Amino acid sequence: MKSRLFSLVIYLTASISGILVLLYPFFLPTISVQTGFGTYRAGELPAMMTLLLGLCLLVLLIEAQGPVMNTKLIALLGVLVAINSALRFFETAIPGPGGFTPIFFLIILVGYVYGGRVGFLMGALTLLVSALVTGGVGPWLPGQMFTAGWVGMSAPILRPAIKTLRIRGDQKSTSLVNPEILILAIFGMLWGFLYGAIMNLWQWPFIVGPQGQSWVAGSSLGVTIQHYLAFYLVTSLVWDAIAALGNVLLLLAFGAPALRALRRFQRRFAFSYSNDGAPGTIQHGEGSSG
Amino acid sequence: MKQPWAWVIWLAAVLVMLTITRNPLYLMIILLCVVLVWLALRAKGASLAQSFSWWKFAGWIILLATGFNMLTSHFGETVLFIIPGKIPLISGNITVEAMVYGATNGLILTGMLASFTVLNLALPMRDLISLIPRAFFPIAVVTSIAVSYLPTTLRQFRQIREAQEVRGHHMRTLGDWLPLLMPLLVGGLEHAMQLAEAMTARGFASTRTASSKRSIYPRVLMLAGVTLMIAGWLMQLGLAGGEGWILIVSGFMLTLIGLWWLGKGSQRTVYHRRVWSWQDGLVIAGTLAAVIAMFAPMPGVGKEIFYYDPYPVIQMPGFSLRIGLAILALIVPGVLKLFTRQANHSS
Repeated sequence: MKSRLFSLVIYLTASISGILVLLYPFFLPTISVQTGFGTYRAGELPAMMTLLLGLCLLVLLIEAQGPVMNTKLIALLGVLVAINSALRFFETAIPGPGGFTPIFFLIILVGYVYGGRVGFLMGALTLLVSALVTGGVGPWLPGQMFTAGWVGMSAPILRPAIKTLRIRGDQKSTSLVNPEILILAIFGMLWGFLYGAIMNLWQWPFIVGPQGQSWVAGSSLGVTIQHYLAFYLVTSLVWDAIAALGNVLLLLAFGAPALRALRRFQRRFAFSYSNDGAPGTIQHGEGSSG
Repeated sequence: MKQPWAWVIWLAAVLVMLTITRNPLYLMIILLCVVLVWLALRAKGASLAQSFSWWKFAGWIILLATGFNMLTSHFGETVLFIIPGKIPLISGNITVEAMVYGATNGLILTGMLASFTVLNLALPMRDLISLIPRAFFPIAVVTSIAVSYLPTTLRQFRQIREAQEVRGHHMRTLGDWLPLLMPLLVGGLEHAMQLAEAMTARGFASTRTASSKRSIYPRVLMLAGVTLMIAGWLMQLGLAGGEGWILIVSGFMLTLIGLWWLGKGSQRTVYHRRVWSWQDGLVIAGTLAAVIAMFAPMPGVGKEIFYYDPYPVIQMPGFSLRIGLAILALIVPGVLKLFTRQANHSS
């Protein structure tokens, strides 16, 4: 219990730190008016952001890899990450429209079925392995791994809502739509936009620099958000909309059979999880020695 | 070059140099060095599985950064033209200063992308995986399994597709992908089960160090380290002074100690230890020379030469030939790649 609580503190602190680091362009203008933060330190900001985000990711990975000592989980993750990386490999070879990417389909389902920790590792490692395979290692990688990890880690929060809907659905039993898949599809759509918006926060300071439209010394938070929205509308809205639509379509088309398969193997791998939806709820039937 | 760490040091130096200067002349020299190293690697047969043209991508980045800054930043006194009306953000003076500032941002980003592309070209995948710290050995194992299983997955996909085609299956709608994806997923999960049993049978993770309960202290150290670094960074932004750096350095040291502590419990067997060669030494010497030239005090050259700001009126950036020549030392890995014989891709 104590260890779990500590684990939760680490997850929360590292995640909040990561969010804080990503959001720094929004509070910098207010700071810069008091300090006269100059252009001469322009480059260190985005570089420092990448470094700090990378370190937050390391802390989260250390925490998440805790239960991975189990051979079944290692093998399962290795193979699932390979399948997802293969999907990304296809995407790299034959680019889909806009921001369409098939990788979030499996990250969401794995996080939802196997729990937040496995979901986080699935998301982060998919991006790592596919970057190694496609030559995509770069300063954007920590941000991508962090965000994709969040996608998988946040999926279990849907369980209580889906359970409630399922009970109501069972009572009425007239609905043709599977509420579980519908909620997962909405979740996928939200992450389609969120992933793009978060990754934009990484590149925004690089593209627009520390002065000019983003960090006019003394400009209010509202003005900075307005600038960011303009940047997002110009560069990303259509792109992310296609990504969100792709997630929805994939989850609606393949979500139900993929969930069945993952659950069948969950029993075979002797996983069990409590239903509180918090990260780190996964347990293994097998001993940690594997 | 035999040591992956020599490439990592070169990359870190390029990133640091791109970070500390906004002088477009120096940025262009750094970018030139990176591109020449890249061309040398390509001349020796290195390639990447990328579907897009990197040059076009880099061009778009510079264009986007320049165009966006011109349209939304209306500072500067050299006005090119004026966008009339009251369009939010857009209306106002379009200035040469904003254009140069945007192009400089684009150059920095392009330099970073190019330097990582060089790393991807220079190091084979196994070398990149070997760079994963010992503390992350479960993740390194998962990564190795995924990388090894990836070609099998691609082969399986082809086999499934051929088998479905023989049965008369055609790909017309999204739903037609289901008979391809589900066998791939289920087959993969079956493979994972077999792999887990084989790993267990061979005693994987059965040692005391591997299976022992995780210590709480190194995790506390790492968390404290990262928190201190962020606090130091915020202080640095807020006070614009040097005080934050004490927290940043302390936090970084704590994080390193935490990583070392976590890693010392895990054993790693190295079958082919990478040795340091004279080429690696030469690369590091060249890299250090370039970095020192930017950091060390030089008679008659002020540090403001790196902090070029086109606002409020554009002027020619300063330039020191000595520093420019020293930066050219970044080209050493490319020269070595071209003019030294190597037994294979990585050794």
